[in-house]
Amino acid sequence: MMKTFSIGGIHPSDSKISKDCKIEVLPVPSKVFISVAQHLGAPATPVVKVGDQVKVGQVIAEPAGFISAYVHSSVSGTVKSVGPRKDLAGNNMTHIEIDVEGDEWIEEADLSDTLITAIPEDNKAILEKIKMCGVVGLGGATFPAHVKLCPPPGKKADCLILNGAECEPYLTSDYRIMLERSKEIVVGAAIMKQVLGGCPAVIGIEENKPEAIKAMTAAVAELQKTAKGYDGISVMTLKKKYPQGGEKQLIDAVMSRQVKSMGLPIDVGAVVQNVATSLAVYEAVQKNIPLITNVLTVTGDCLPMDKQHNYKFRIGMPLSYIAEIAGGVPAEAAKIISGGPMMGKAIANMDATTVKGSSSLLYLTAEQTVRGVESACIRCGKCAEACPMGLEPFLLNKYARNNMMDELEENAIQDCIECGCCLYSCPANIPLLDIIRIAKGDVIRIIRGRVQQGKK
Amino acid sequence: MTTTIIWTIAILTVLGAVLAVVLYFVAEKFKVEEDPRIDEVEKVLPGANCGGCGQAGCRAFAQFCVESSPNLDKCFCPVGGNEGMQKVAAVLGVEVAAKEPQVAVVRCNGTCENRPRTNEYGGYQSCRVKAALYSGDTGCSFGCLGCGDCVNACQFGAISMDPATGLPVVDEEKCTACGACVKSCPKNIIELRNKGRRNMRVFVSCVNKDKGAVARKACKAACIGCGKCAKVCAFDAITVENNVAYIDFTKCKLCKKCVAECPTGAIHAVNFPVIKPKPAAEAPAEPKPAPVAEPVKKEE
Repeated sequence: MMKTFSIGGIHPSDSKISKDCKIEVLPVPSKVFISVAQHLGAPATPVVKVGDQVKVGQVIAEPAGFISAYVHSSVSGTVKSVGPRKDLAGNNMTHIEIDVEGDEWIEEADLSDTLITAIPEDNKAILEKIKMCGVVGLGGATFPAHVKLCPPPGKKADCLILNGAECEPYLTSDYRIMLERSKEIVVGAAIMKQVLGGCPAVIGIEENKPEAIKAMTAAVAELQKTAKGYDGISVMTLKKKYPQGGEKQLIDAVMSRQVKSMGLPIDVGAVVQNVATSLAVYEAVQKNIPLITNVLTVTGDCLPMDKQHNYKFRIGMPLSYIAEIAGGVPAEAAKIISGGPMMGKAIANMDATTVKGSSSLLYLTAEQTVRGVESACIRCGKCAEACPMGLEPFLLNKYARNNMMDELEENAIQDCIECGCCLYSCPANIPLLDIIRIAKGDVIRIIRGRVQQGKK
Repeated sequence: MTTTIIWTIAILTVLGAVLAVVLYFVAEKFKVEEDPRIDEVEKVLPGANCGGCGQAGCRAFAQFCVESSPNLDKCFCPVGGNEGMQKVAAVLGVEVAAKEPQVAVVRCNGTCENRPRTNEYGGYQSCRVKAALYSGDTGCSFGCLGCGDCVNACQFGAISMDPATGLPVVDEEKCTACGACVKSCPKNIIELRNKGRRNMRVFVSCVNKDKGAVARKACKAACIGCGKCAKVCAFDAITVENNVAYIDFTKCKLCKKCVAECPTGAIHAVNFPVIKPKPAAEAPAEPKPAPVAEPVKKEE
């Protein structure tokens, strides 16, 4: 009996059209724009000036707080400007513009293909390396990885869960790295497992990726045979259901434990990291390569098979540059999404650049994106059935529209993970998620204000 | 039969009398003393319950007034205005200083013509939702989003969307300056400004903080922060900060020099008497403001 999370969930068509497209390495453009806000938390502070020479992998921005991360140059060349530029959503953010000259890497980086299976013993040094290499969670939230790997005092990790669910339709980047870089991912998992105190590690993969399950199982078995420190790693096949890749859902699916309202995964002894993060940890710890590349899927129903791609990109490449190399934006595309159709964001500005967490350029047609006409709620309860957090979106919608903050908090709006299941399932086309997301922000602000007042 | 009726009436009468006495003493014991002036103040308030005063409603405001009496400096009912506050002061038997009447001003001139659309928004029609998603469907990330949250927030029907420009229009007659639209605007475009003499006002109709070239590219009528207006202003009323000019309405003398100076036409002068075609044909820029400025000075 395959496991999955216990409540809610939906079954959108998985549309993994580009799953058989091998990862191609994108050529380096003549110019990159590297954003200083590529992670959750405070934007990093630039440490380079105009005219500075930088190498690939050199630190160009330092963290500006506890929850923040280093940013490295993805190319070698001269810093041309440091200033505001419009990001994906059209808002101004500091970007570092670098003119590319050659491809000279920092000396410590190991660019060879050899797999290093021996795990360093010093946990502190490993964590320092993960931090210095700017590794952030690549599952979507881009939460700094080293923070997650240091459980607060008094709390212990019982299980490291590697998220290979990739439950978002269309996206195939995680799938491709699980096929092509499976051993590196397992080494990364072993490193994180050791840092967390040797708890077991489970790689959760949905049933619709049998090749990935096979490849990962084989990689685990081989490494367990040939090297030390790989015991306790296993692959778990999960039933296909969206949002399996949600942190709390994955913990429920794998460990059958539920994180309480406003709680953190570590409260139930779980640490969840994406498979792509695991690969980044491997590169950082074993190869001294900072997080400057990731894999991105270029896909969409309106693209012919030969224009579907999985690209290994360097951060700072303009999206328009990638779109051009991939064969241009198709005429039928009405909306371009970064990050999957369920939780991704529509791209308002194609001149925006790729960041650490970029995962897709998804072309949707007008037919796929059009919103139906909103009609009255008949309380059919489909949204409540679909909500993986056990909330009642129809109720939250009503309270939110009337600004009833106390009722919203009582009904746990702050637990919403913004997965979009309610909006997907609503037959009346009510913009449930849009309204709930705004009200959730308000309620969380009220709760934080109260906590702060309590401290005083 | 008759005895039953008599007994019933008798028992109920006795019961009623006893309970009335009990209730009387309970009511005396747990009596809530309320200042009778609260009721009186509430009676003279407009009863809009809009919350524009910062209190939860008209009764809460009445209570607040009574509590803060004799000093009513912090109490102001925007709907009733100075007249209303005089009534409140009369009830409480105190003095209250008159406040300059205000009006909501929309500081964006990004009409469809000035500000070309760069993408199409297909989501839920709400400025707050739209602002949370992205910068908007034009190149300007500071301007009006045009979904009409301010229109919905206004209880007095004073704001409407102009379909031709896609921008909200404030009906000055109806606007009470309660500030609901100011709070509802996620881009902080709407500001409460003093109504000014004869309703004449000069203000910068732009909040774009981008550098000049970027702002101009996004919108023809954007403030580019060139500072020409600040230089020409003789009253130090204009400050340029973050690439955008701001006119302090308490210092502005309505001379309109800045209006003529602005290269993009971002500074608006409203409700000034229309200049007859004669002087317009004569002089290009300089002499124009003079005849308008004069009557204002006389009044002062």
